Amino acid sequence: MPSSFCVFKYFFEHRYRHYQRAGDCDLSWISKIQVNQPAVLRRAEQIQARRMVKKEWQAAWLLKAVTFIDLTTLSGDDTSSNVQRLCYKAKYPIREDLLKALNVHDKGLTTAAVCVYPARVCDAVKALKAAGSTIPVASVATGFPAGQTHLKTRLEEIRLAVEDGATEIDVVINRTLVLTGQWEALYDEIRQFRKACGEAHLKTILATGELGSLTNVYKASMIAMMAGSDFIKTSTGKETVNATFPVAIVMLRAIRDFFWKTGNKIGFKPAGGIRSAKDSLAWLSLIKEELGDEWLTPELFRIGASTLLSDIERQIYHHVTGRYAAYHDLPMS
Amino acid sequence: MAATHAQRSTREIFTTLEYGPVPESHACALAWLDTQDRHLGHYVNGKWLKPEHRNSVPCRDPITGENLASCPQAQAEDVAAAVEAARTAWENWSGLPGASRAQYLTRLAKMIQKHQRLLWTLESLVTGRAVREVRDRDIPLAQQLLQWHAVQAYTQEETLAGWEPMGVIGLILSPTFSFLEMMWRICPALAVGCTVVVLVPPGSPTPLLLAQLAGELGSFPGILNVINGPASLGPILASQPGVQKVTFCGAVEEGRVLRRTLAGQGAELGLALGAESLLVLTEAADVDSAVEGVVDAAWSDRSAGGLRLLIQESVWDETMRRLQERMARLRGGRGLDGAVDMGARGAAAHDLAQRYVREAQSQGAQVPWPVVVASPFRTAKEALAVANGTPRGGSASVWSERLGQALELGYGLRVGTVWINAHGLRHPEVPTGGCKESGSSWHGGPDGLYEYLRPSGTPARLPSLSENLNYDTFGLAVPLTLPSGPEIGPSPAAPYGLFIGGRFQAPGARSSRCIQDSKGNLQAYVAEGGAKDIRGAVEAAHQAAPGWVSQPPGARASLLWALASALERRESAFTSALERHGVELKTAKVEVELSARRLRAWGARAQAQGHLLQVAELRGPVLRLREPLGVLAIVCPDEWPLLAFASLLAAALAHGNAVVLVPSGVCPIPALEVCQDMATLLPAGLVNVVTGDRDHLTRCLALHQDVQALWYFGSAQGSQFVEWASAGNLKPVWVNRGRPRAWDQEAQGAGPELGLRAARTKALWLPMGD
Repeated sequence: MPSSFCVFKYFFEHRYRHYQRAGDCDLSWISKIQVNQPAVLRRAEQIQARRMVKKEWQAAWLLKAVTFIDLTTLSGDDTSSNVQRLCYKAKYPIREDLLKALNVHDKGLTTAAVCVYPARVCDAVKALKAAGSTIPVASVATGFPAGQTHLKTRLEEIRLAVEDGATEIDVVINRTLVLTGQWEALYDEIRQFRKACGEAHLKTILATGELGSLTNVYKASMIAMMAGSDFIKTSTGKETVNATFPVAIVMLRAIRDFFWKTGNKIGFKPAGGIRSAKDSLAWLSLIKEELGDEWLTPELFRIGASTLLSDIERQIYHHVTGRYAAYHDLPMS
Repeated sequence: MAATHAQRSTREIFTTLEYGPVPESHACALAWLDTQDRHLGHYVNGKWLKPEHRNSVPCRDPITGENLASCPQAQAEDVAAAVEAARTAWENWSGLPGASRAQYLTRLAKMIQKHQRLLWTLESLVTGRAVREVRDRDIPLAQQLLQWHAVQAYTQEETLAGWEPMGVIGLILSPTFSFLEMMWRICPALAVGCTVVVLVPPGSPTPLLLAQLAGELGSFPGILNVINGPASLGPILASQPGVQKVTFCGAVEEGRVLRRTLAGQGAELGLALGAESLLVLTEAADVDSAVEGVVDAAWSDRSAGGLRLLIQESVWDETMRRLQERMARLRGGRGLDGAVDMGARGAAAHDLAQRYVREAQSQGAQVPWPVVVASPFRTAKEALAVANGTPRGGSASVWSERLGQALELGYGLRVGTVWINAHGLRHPEVPTGGCKESGSSWHGGPDGLYEYLRPSGTPARLPSLSENLNYDTFGLAVPLTLPSGPEIGPSPAAPYGLFIGGRFQAPGARSSRCIQDSKGNLQAYVAEGGAKDIRGAVEAAHQAAPGWVSQPPGARASLLWALASALERRESAFTSALERHGVELKTAKVEVELSARRLRAWGARAQAQGHLLQVAELRGPVLRLREPLGVLAIVCPDEWPLLAFASLLAAALAHGNAVVLVPSGVCPIPALEVCQDMATLLPAGLVNVVTGDRDHLTRCLALHQDVQALWYFGSAQGSQFVEWASAGNLKPVWVNRGRPRAWDQEAQGAGPELGLRAARTKALWLPMGD
């Protein structure tokens, strides 16, 4: 399939998705749902042990994993210099000679996006433009990470980030609404986020570590998708429990159920705690098992991570050279 | 050149993102086979035994068909050599303090740990099972088994006081069982002090390797012997002198045949038959998780047999859609590949299933899967009726998020193991077994230990085989009774009739038999019961059974106590009835007093049954329930006509069974006297007493398919017949083989053995978490 067609298809689908999904909040989709935690835990344990990839397969999968990464920096001490460095790393995630050795240097390998705080969006946009890159800039918003600010300021935050050039917005949901069972109110809030995003992609962070139960995770996922999210995301990376397999299994099942009900494919983004190359392989196989190959594209799958990339580069280095890299062999991000 | 090829592949895979092979090297398994020159033998008495001139069977890689090694088929003399080794070893092993056996088992666990790679590659290579399954599940479980049983051995003198090891145990494994099934059974046997001879089908080297590992620990050669041979050697193994018990794991029909063959043989028989499982999926289930349960139960390599799937009608379509979606993602392949869901066995079942599905769909018929049979149900009650309406009683899982419903189903299913919202969990501490045709042999937990123990002081079992016993005619004809003089019965006269359904009824044959007193005078006529009366009695018992089961233990206890009081009130009537049979007054008084005490004692014990197990990996409890057998038939001994009757009856009732009894043949009057009291005290039909020709009544009961268990205390021939006939519905039987029992002694008359036999265990797994 020619790549231009892919791009067209991508835009087409995404333009229309918002309108298609402007459906009502159908609470019957979540009222009967049951999630059995011990059973999900067992499945999570199994799935990690069942699929391994080795050698060339491992290298290829790791390279693919790079293209799913939302390269992230979300620190209080972020300044334009380290954001700039991050953007450079996003554009050149793996050393050129290693890519050449694997004969994938012409694939235009970059990370999927760069993810920063709203105040750093301008820096990131500028840095990427300077590097001649079209990598999208994602901004967290809506009172990240706790979401405990007024709705008005949360919405304003989205608008400002979009104005600054962010094309993807990672919003956090209001956990209070989940824990008190106000599903319709949650739907309304996310609808407003959706509107405030305009053309930007909406990634909804469920902060699953704070939702209390897997059944709540499923319900929140469903509400977020009904309200028009393009992605649902596990966590902010700031909670005590971040992206775990059991939570992911529940969210992926919700995504599949939503697809079966509406025909719309919603993306999935685990974030927080994914640090090793081996972890990333397990996540790829999880998506492949639970949703299938169609979901293994940057349009539908992202990994939010900051240190993962260097470990992947380290593994690629080892695959190509047969040696373990020294700290100074690979550029820092 | 190889390098460029690799580079191209990486580029391709980058686009396709496919899975690649993850081969597990099996070099060490081959190297081990090489140490035996690819010619395996038997492992007997700590040495390899490689007799000449035996037919050999190839051991093949099930996927490539490659010939890996050859295995000799054992002959009778090899079996004899193995049993001889086990018998010699037993003398030393059984006498050791539990702590020494515990140490040995711990060392064996360590030995397995040290050689685990060899074990898992060998097992996966020869069985074709997914290596992940063997490596991540079987091997750790094998070690856990040894460790848990080591602890049991260590505390044996304290916790199992009053019990002693049986002796040499024969274990027969069918080809579909993995080496883990062997571990489940040899661990308790070795722990309590038995020694084992395992008969494995040729071409399964893993048990041999385990025996070698055990043998190389040095100190006790001969406690674990493994020989290769067909299951048809089973009777030969069972008839070797010294073999006290044979446990058979295999297909139901094979088990039936073995049960018939071994009737009257020296060894006791334990059967663990079939591996079919049941899965009940309700509308309150987490359907996705339940589907994972189905996949695990049916197509993973941990599944041992077929699966029956009951799905609530309202979620049928949804379940089927998810199941098909999930099945499409299963990966089959070589067992030694680290990234497959199914090795050879699972894949074969899966392919077969898919082929049948396609065929069925093209013919527009409902899908008759050979390995997974799915059928819808409407309500939980209907699910229970459908699930219990089969002769199998192995394991089942219930999928429901509603606690009340899940427990109702869990308690109601007549199976050995129930998992709530899980399937196939196992742990050394939890007993696993079955009921009905799945056999009543147990492994794991306390029940697994009792399989290889007997009450201290029980004499060794010897064959009581009567070659000329004709099973077709035994007890078929009833001798005729003619009037033989005036009745000189007690006053008032004992009630006449059969005690069925709570009242005295005339026998179907409308004839009577005479009972003589010790002086040879005609004491009384009692009713001559027959096949129709047995049928009626069993029916009455079945009607009364559900009501009795639902009685709380306290209520059972108070009824038994009331019966004891009634007995004491009418002490004089009982003593005089006993005196007429030549029992001294003093002894008669003791017998009546003891009988009342037995009723009270079992009433009290009814309160304390079952317990809770806490399994390490599982959050949540496992309940070890003791459930009644159902309708229990008891043929009482001739001796101690009142005491034996009361002892057996009390134990049976306390555990919630409904009973059909045949009282003492020579002196049935005291039992009939008790019936008078039972008529007013107990629910109708709970206890039924049928007098008549004992052989004839035994025949009727033993051949009755709806009698769920049978205890027989009578002749050696009768015992043999009972064992033979029990093959019909594979009811658990307890026979005395013509040996008298000291009913007045606490151990034999009211010991824990009665309690063990009067109920069956059920393990109810309750994982928790939200």
